[in-house]
Amino acid sequence: MFTQFEHFAATSLMGSPGEAPPRQDGHLQFEREWEKLAFGVAIALSKQGYFEWEDFRQTLIETIHHWEATHDLTDPEWDYYQCWLTALEKLTIGTGLIQTEELEAHMIQLLDCKSEPQE
Amino acid sequence: MPSNYPGFKYSTDRETFSSAKAKALESLLIEKGIITGDTVNKILSYFETEMGPFNGAKIVAKAWVDPDFKNLLLEDCNAACEQMDFPEGMSGAEGEHMRIVENTPEVHNVIVCTLCSCYPWPTLGLPPYWFKDPTFRARVVREPRQVLSEFGVQLEESVQIKVWDSSAQIRWWVLPMRPAGTEGMSEAQLANLLTPEAMMGVATVKV
Repeated sequence: MFTQFEHFAATSLMGSPGEAPPRQDGHLQFEREWEKLAFGVAIALSKQGYFEWEDFRQTLIETIHHWEATHDLTDPEWDYYQCWLTALEKLTIGTGLIQTEELEAHMIQLLDCKSEPQE
Repeated sequence: MPSNYPGFKYSTDRETFSSAKAKALESLLIEKGIITGDTVNKILSYFETEMGPFNGAKIVAKAWVDPDFKNLLLEDCNAACEQMDFPEGMSGAEGEHMRIVENTPEVHNVIVCTLCSCYPWPTLGLPPYWFKDPTFRARVVREPRQVLSEFGVQLEESVQIKVWDSSAQIRWWVLPMRPAGTEGMSEAQLANLLTPEAMMGVATVKV
């Protein structure tokens, strides 16, 4: 039944409650615009072969484990898509798609740009 | 010009920072020609429009109004799915068959599974987190009436409860009973009444 990569990628994350993306009523649930960007970019890059989906999955799991090891499990700061974004950053930099310096430079530009609406 | 950029400290404003990072990643990848401006939207629309519980809802609503379709659905779920105007691959191409079981005044059905891959994704969307909980599965098998009542489904003692354990070969889902008072409703209105929980057997359909 896994005829679509998107389908496969999302199901592969259903292994444990911690690893699975937040959902509501059978749909993916996004609370902030940037979560959608992080989600879509990760799937798109893997779909196009820039990294294996399993590598993303493992990086996400490691990131979540690292957070859990360094925080109280009831810490309200817990944020699934924060871990997702960190995993995506690690992989895009790790695979050489993006250089740390250019990412930083671009972020400075965005953070300095007052006219940019905050989401 | 002095920069407002405070350095890599989450304590300043994590939201602004995360938003900027996600946007920066996307726009750099667009600049490099790796993705395009509508890539993310295309991916998201796949999840929003082509895969989700509304597919199952449409099928159930059609079965409620069309007895021939209902018979086909109960007989051969995949063949029934093929009659719907769904995207390629929705009916389960690789020998992984979906089967639907019908709730009646005498029999109430519930589905369980320990592996995520056994969930009828094309019709019900993404499985809820508790569905994979080993405690949930074990308890549904052992004391289904009690578990159902915790979900708010109170069944008469006379109603038999059947628990269907999905496997890689057969993915079960439930055809709920059409509620009273829906006689004049269109298929689309009926579909709106359905929830993934109802099609898993842990809820009933309410008007």
